[in-house]
Amino acid sequence: MSESNNFRQGMGIAFRMGTEMTVATLLGGGMGYGVDYFFGTKPWGIVAGVVFGGAAGMLNVYRAAQAMTEENEKADKDQNNSSSKDQDGKS
Amino acid sequence: MENPLHHFELHPLVHLSLMGFDISINEGVVAMWVALAVVFGLFMLVVKNGVRLIPGKLQSVLEMALEFVRDMVEEFIGKEEAPKYFPFIMTLFLFILACNLIGMIPGSYTITSQLVVTGTFAGFIFVMTLFIGFSKHGLKFLSILVPPGVPKVMIPVMIPIEFISMLARPISLAVRLFANMTAGHTILFVLFSLSMSASLMVGWMPFGFTVIINGLELAIAFIQAYIFTILTCVYIGDVIHLH
Repeated sequence: MSESNNFRQGMGIAFRMGTEMTVATLLGGGMGYGVDYFFGTKPWGIVAGVVFGGAAGMLNVYRAAQAMTEENEKADKDQNNSSSKDQDGKS
Repeated sequence: MENPLHHFELHPLVHLSLMGFDISINEGVVAMWVALAVVFGLFMLVVKNGVRLIPGKLQSVLEMALEFVRDMVEEFIGKEEAPKYFPFIMTLFLFILACNLIGMIPGSYTITSQLVVTGTFAGFIFVMTLFIGFSKHGLKFLSILVPPGVPKVMIPVMIPIEFISMLARPISLAVRLFANMTAGHTILFVLFSLSMSASLMVGWMPFGFTVIINGLELAIAFIQAYIFTILTCVYIGDVIHLH
């Protein structure tokens, strides 16, 4: 049960991180391009857009990773507690 | 060889139009109807046989699915708010899962491989989160654009970054489901047409891969439905509990 759970979670993480970064960078670039197109500030809009978009993507991935680490630590703690309890019970 | 993306094309089966809008019924619409009918039918079958205290096979499977999604909603949205959003998220999960699984039947249509469909889901969820946020927190909701503990100097930089990261959420939600389904089915098609066009001496190899990738696709159908719903929960939870 826990093994399939790990597999599912791992796949979930893998699929999430990849798209999260790509989409944010592309979206930032696209918005920058739009600014260039409408205000004629070529090429500075797309430059700033890609930088901001990349930062946003990293922020998203960082937050997702942080949430997952917290979850894992919590799970580890629970496991340790229960296993130590088991040992106490046995001894 | 045929164009590998050919089987994603939609062809109208029944031509209909309403006030100038084209509402023709095509394979995709039929696939969605079948998905709805399957989900509705499974639950109705249990209800019709009588919901028992000691569940039968079908009832225990459906109960497991319900509990799985309920735990997810409670974890990310919170116990008090969970009952309000549970029906929506459960419906979303079952519908996407049914659409993905129906796509696995050879000759059927995978409606989640259309960006329009996944985009509509994601756009609806995005508008819904904005609506929930503004109705719950009023204008204070805009503080979601400023993460806590940021020095004042950084605020002009952080606002565009947060704005983009917020807009990227529904897009990545839509693109992830669409891209995974499209890519998987394209690979299946290419491998299978390779095995069809080669002689038996060589053709068994791509055919074996088709079988293996089919198993992987089955797993991906579940995983993608799971990811879509879990991220919906995360996004709704984020706007309910501001930082």
